[in-house]
Amino acid sequence: MIEVRNLYHAYRGENYVLKGINFSMGKEIVALVGPNGSGKTTLAKHFNGLLKPTKGSVKIDGLDTREHTVAELSRLVGYVFQNPEHMFFEESVFKEVAFGPKNLEKSEDEIRKRVSWALKSVGLEGYEERAPYSLSGGEKQRLAIACVLSMKPKYLILDEPTTGLDAKAEKRVVETIRSLKDNGHGILLITHDMNLVLELAERVVLLYKGEKVYDGPVEPFFDIALERYSLETPELLKLAKKLGVSFVRSTDELIASISGGVL
Amino acid sequence: MIHTFYRENDSFLHSLDPRAKIVGSTSALAIILLFNDPIITGSLLVSVLILGRLFGKISIREQLRLLKPLIPLVLFTIILWPVIYKPRLEGFMFGVSFALRLLTLGLVTFILLMTTPQRELIQGFVKLGLPYEFGLTISIGLRYIPTLYILTRNIMDAQRSRGWEMEKGNIVVRTRKMSAVMIPLLVASLKTAHELSIALESRAFGAGKRRTFLHDIKMGKKDYITIVTSLVLLGVALYLRYGFGFGHINVYG
Ligand SMILES: Nc1ncnc2c1ncn2[C@@H]1O[C@H](COP(=O)(O)OP(=O)(O)OP(=O)(O)O)[C@@H](O)[C@H]1O
Ligand SMILES: [Mg+2]
Repeated sequence: MIEVRNLYHAYRGENYVLKGINFSMGKEIVALVGPNGSGKTTLAKHFNGLLKPTKGSVKIDGLDTREHTVAELSRLVGYVFQNPEHMFFEESVFKEVAFGPKNLEKSEDEIRKRVSWALKSVGLEGYEERAPYSLSGGEKQRLAIACVLSMKPKYLILDEPTTGLDAKAEKRVVETIRSLKDNGHGILLITHDMNLVLELAERVVLLYKGEKVYDGPVEPFFDIALERYSLETPELLKLAKKLGVSFVRSTDELIASISGGVL
Repeated sequence: MIHTFYRENDSFLHSLDPRAKIVGSTSALAIILLFNDPIITGSLLVSVLILGRLFGKISIREQLRLLKPLIPLVLFTIILWPVIYKPRLEGFMFGVSFALRLLTLGLVTFILLMTTPQRELIQGFVKLGLPYEFGLTISIGLRYIPTLYILTRNIMDAQRSRGWEMEKGNIVVRTRKMSAVMIPLLVASLKTAHELSIALESRAFGAGKRRTFLHDIKMGKKDYITIVTSLVLLGVALYLRYGFGFGHINVYG
């Protein structure tokens, strides 16, 4: 469990950007949404100890993040940064993915196993000898996930993993996230893309000006007046409403529910 | 977080013409380089702090905070001098003196940047007869420092999330470890530099020879007084130094 209790955070001598957040999550897909500057990244950086609470507490499976280093916490919580290129520095995909487990001082054998497992999980098997910078945008994003996955964390934080990807690449990332969830990972998905929330999330947390204003299932979330929070209701949902269907997750579901009604 | 060094305020330094400030700080830099007696360099540092407080309305604490990034360099200087210079006590003294000079040079630059908007700084350089490219290069370079700082922080955070720890290991190990930060940093900065050059070209930078400015700057009485005062002080310092050998200890025997 990730457990956040009454969390306040202020960057050096400035105002609070997180104000009394209470939150917990287990092995589920939680979408963390909110307008720019609402504090999503600041909150997520507390989960692997990159930031420490100014007030309140954050515990990961019972471990207080104040009492553990980022390296120690990285075994539990993997953080995939928004820009994958900010982490690549090795000459091959293999070495890049091996970097994390090496830092955890795993044996050669274990490292090799983990790399091939991580690459398989994101659909990059056969890429071992490629140079990370030579990959396409979508492949880079999946490599970034593999780099964190090879540390075998229980929880995975993905900061805007689909921004700037084309439809096909996005689909591969979505599939990857789903299969990770099915393999027992808890996933925190930071995103501005409401279509992605609709498609993938099991629960939504909405931040606004450093406060949590919604935390619950996906369906009622889309009943909130989202424009207030600079978020946009997916076209699919608007269409469904017009057609008298209250909630669907995908086009297929919509088609099924209309034709079911008609036929 | 620092985005640019400039801070809006209504101090005397803010109201000065950029040319007066450029002449003033250049004289200050020259004066600082003339002396190496730690007592003199120390007093110069204190004087600059006080001048910054009085004329620039920048609190002493804020000024000291700005100097913090220079601390590693300062420590390095203080430690290195006694190692290479004998007798050690004098080496140490020179180390301290050099460190004080370094801090004072940094401080003068910071004060200039904190009290002068970038636009005025470029204009000042141009009106003093330097090419526009010079002014622009300097100010883009300076403006890029905060961006680079944030980028470095971000990359370090990304690598720390992969179990990377800079603090571990001896100096050789640590140097090798830095490649995990230096390579992504290099790639990202080259990208930014490339984008910057495209942005400049697409605004027809370098197309025409004569440049016009939207807001013109004008020298007033206090600007002339500042320039004259700085040059007189520089003259006095030169005279003291070369006329009397004041404030200078011969390092090389
Ligand atoms: N290193 C920092 N120092 C000072 N302030 C910061 C820092 N990082 C973020 N902030 C501020 O904290 C607030 C929350 O920022 P944060 O990055 O957590 O928002 P976000 O929800 O992730 O936004 P975005 O959607 O743009 O990624 C903002 O006001 C931001 O300016
Ligand atoms: Mg963010």
